[in-house]
Amino acid sequence: MSRSWWAKLLFLIVVTVGAVAYVAPTVLKLDPQKSKFLIKEKINLGLDLQGGVYMVLGVDFRRVFTDVADRLAETLNEEIKRRQIGCSLIKPSTSTSAGLSDDPRFSLQCANLPEKAKLHDLIKKDFDHFRMTGDAGNDYEFGLSKLYKDAVRERTIGQSIEVIRNRIDEFGVAEPVIASLGKDRVSVELPGIKDIERAKELIGRTARLEFKLVSQEKSSDEVAALVSEIEAKNSLSYEQGERFSDYVQKINELAKGKIPANTEIAFEREGRRAGSEGNLGRIAHLLTSKAEITGEDLKEASVEIDPQDNRPYVNLHFNAKGAEAFDRMTGEKLHRQLAIVLDGIVHSVPVIQSRVSQGQAQITLGYGDYNTLLNEATDLAIVLRAGALPAQLKFQEQRVIGPSLGADSIEKGKFAAIVGCFAVFLGMLIYYRLSGLIADISLILNVLFVLAILAALGVSLTLPGIAAIALTVGIAVDSNVVIYERIREELKSGKSAKVAVEVGFNRAFRTILDANVTNAIAVAVLFNFGTGPIKGFAITLLIGIVTTLFTAVFVCRLLFDWYTDRFEVKELSI
Amino acid sequence: MLEIIPKDIKVNFVGHRYVWLAISTALVVVSVVLLMSRGFNYGIDFVGGAEIQLKFDKPVSVSELRDLLGGGGLGNLVIQQLGETQQNEFLVKLRGEDAESQEIIFKMESSLSQKMQKADFEIQRVDVVGEQAGKALRKSGFLSMFYALLCILVYVAVRFDYRYGPGAVVALAHDVILTMGIFSLTQKEFNLQIVAAILTVIGYSNNDTIIVYDRIREALIRYPNRTFKDNVNRSINETLSRTLLTSLFTLLVVVALMVLGGGVIYDFAFTMMIGILVGTYSSIFIASPILILVTDWQQRRLKKVASMKNTPLIAPRP
Repeated sequence: MSRSWWAKLLFLIVVTVGAVAYVAPTVLKLDPQKSKFLIKEKINLGLDLQGGVYMVLGVDFRRVFTDVADRLAETLNEEIKRRQIGCSLIKPSTSTSAGLSDDPRFSLQCANLPEKAKLHDLIKKDFDHFRMTGDAGNDYEFGLSKLYKDAVRERTIGQSIEVIRNRIDEFGVAEPVIASLGKDRVSVELPGIKDIERAKELIGRTARLEFKLVSQEKSSDEVAALVSEIEAKNSLSYEQGERFSDYVQKINELAKGKIPANTEIAFEREGRRAGSEGNLGRIAHLLTSKAEITGEDLKEASVEIDPQDNRPYVNLHFNAKGAEAFDRMTGEKLHRQLAIVLDGIVHSVPVIQSRVSQGQAQITLGYGDYNTLLNEATDLAIVLRAGALPAQLKFQEQRVIGPSLGADSIEKGKFAAIVGCFAVFLGMLIYYRLSGLIADISLILNVLFVLAILAALGVSLTLPGIAAIALTVGIAVDSNVVIYERIREELKSGKSAKVAVEVGFNRAFRTILDANVTNAIAVAVLFNFGTGPIKGFAITLLIGIVTTLFTAVFVCRLLFDWYTDRFEVKELSI
Repeated sequence: MLEIIPKDIKVNFVGHRYVWLAISTALVVVSVVLLMSRGFNYGIDFVGGAEIQLKFDKPVSVSELRDLLGGGGLGNLVIQQLGETQQNEFLVKLRGEDAESQEIIFKMESSLSQKMQKADFEIQRVDVVGEQAGKALRKSGFLSMFYALLCILVYVAVRFDYRYGPGAVVALAHDVILTMGIFSLTQKEFNLQIVAAILTVIGYSNNDTIIVYDRIREALIRYPNRTFKDNVNRSINETLSRTLLTSLFTLLVVVALMVLGGGVIYDFAFTMMIGILVGTYSSIFIASPILILVTDWQQRRLKKVASMKNTPLIAPRP
């Protein structure tokens, strides 16, 4: 055998061993906590196999746009007064829902044209969020610009996702998946959840944001020790699937007497990073029970960079009431930790830095490199805005799968897939004899690779996904048939075994490539359009197409070369 | 070597091409008529509504079930028994026109839990789709089928030649229309799974067409002295075993899925089976004839242009 053949074989062996390693945890049902095996990822089961909930929520932007327009109009009004421009703002009534609009407008009446011009300049310079919608005499009418509305839309979706994520942690779901869907919807997947009704109810609610001072009566170590003590004494521990707020309540009840009367214990999520779902690993904090400031008092939160030391921080902008409360707090308590609590879970405990200007405050976030700080600041700003500017979520789609249906489906699906694959294996063996065996080996490797990639990428296996694996086998066979028929032709036309194999593979390659690419195109479109289990199907099939290209061409060729070389065949068993 | 198609087969596909095209056109027309008159039996995915799948421990009749769920006040409930009678599984469907399917589901659930012990029944599955969401899904479903066809048209035109594109796409469109026609005829539920299957079929059934086209392209280079039609005909014959075998093997898998898969997989596999059968037919009998038609049309145009070039601009004096 040639050197390059051995090199290829080595490559194949390495890849196969890797694949087996990735599939092993699932097949051997290894426990991720206890296993010492290098690879711990099991193949995720999709909703339809595990049971759970899938929801699509639409975001109602009208309230958001109306609120945003309101606040901006107010700010504009302040500026107008400050610069003593002779115009006045006429605020539309937005207190009733009749006043809610997708395109809120407000008008400004000016004393005369020169004043109007001043106003125009001001808006053009400092308020590019607006677009002019009406210009008559001494008056202007304004609405929000499309660019700004798009930005608000995107931001709101981000906020909604953040809020939902926070709430879902309440249920201790193992692997929730929350993502935006298009420009105005959010999809939520909660595998294995038990309390479905409450989840639906909780997700639909509007956010509750509170600012509470961290009590200095106990150090954080003392608090952690206290919590462990309580847990140990009462054999209490948080189990996944339980309601987190119940657990927190229990802890606080048991802690009465050990903590000062006006304080309470709350928990912060450990390792909180955008993308790390779940994981309610907890850092305990002792907080003053009374919320100094709530989300209603916050006007705006944005990420800024301190020009002096190039560090990102979060700038908070409060309304009058909030500013007053904040002044009171920080006058006495500068450089203390302020806990930002969203829906009962502590998001972060930054240190109050200083008052910058009326009603504004800076929050810095501890230490880290620029990027880490920037990410933290962005997350925090989102959370703050979510509490400050709630958008209304409306259920558009809900699918609930009970767990027993899932188990049933897996069994049936697996069985059908195995029978189908087996039929193909047998067929190939009968029709192409030894070459059929070679094809079968490559098919088995194909399935192995697909499963390994599913495990490695963390893609969920759904019921249609199981069908997709079976289909991949059916479709992969096509490539083999194309090659083999070609080889048969070449043999008929008198070529030797080795040459026939060579020509067969080479000539057939282009056909196989074209066929698989067109397949992939259609499946990619399906991936784009589909939701839930169908997305699982599409991605599994796509993975299958890639592995097919590899096994049908590379692996088969390798085995064939070995076959023709080793056995000096005159007549190919094909 | 085992061979189901003899190697020297010589069927005159090209010669009879108008026959095939006529048959197919007729079938397409019938399908379109069906689609326009009977339309689809849309599932809740496309029309909005709700579905609950229930399993009982004790035998329950359909009318009993209707009572259990709250009786007449719930509008157009469709109750279907699933599987075998002893399984006691039911599917309750509510169409999109009824407002607030969510509330109705809630009423049904509470009525059920009031009237029956919790242990005696199990809610296996609940799907609720808002009417707007359903319409949106329908639109994107049809759009995606269209896009898939478009992308494939472009790809084939680029990889082969612009003449080959129409053949491939017409064959695929034909497959899709006939499949949809069968759904309209049988009034089987048309939902997300079916569209997924159709998209898969679009991708897959193109395989056969590509196999033939590839051979045609090769033949044209190898045997430039043979007429175009002759090359096409031979190519189809030569690749016949290939096209039939690939479809056969895939069918093995699909039929296994259909017969043994149950539930969701059955609908999907059924659609794929129809798609593959029709797809194989169209690859052999439609794709290439269209290619010939396009080539002929192109030849005629070229001849016309050539003959116009030969005509002098000023007519000679008589």
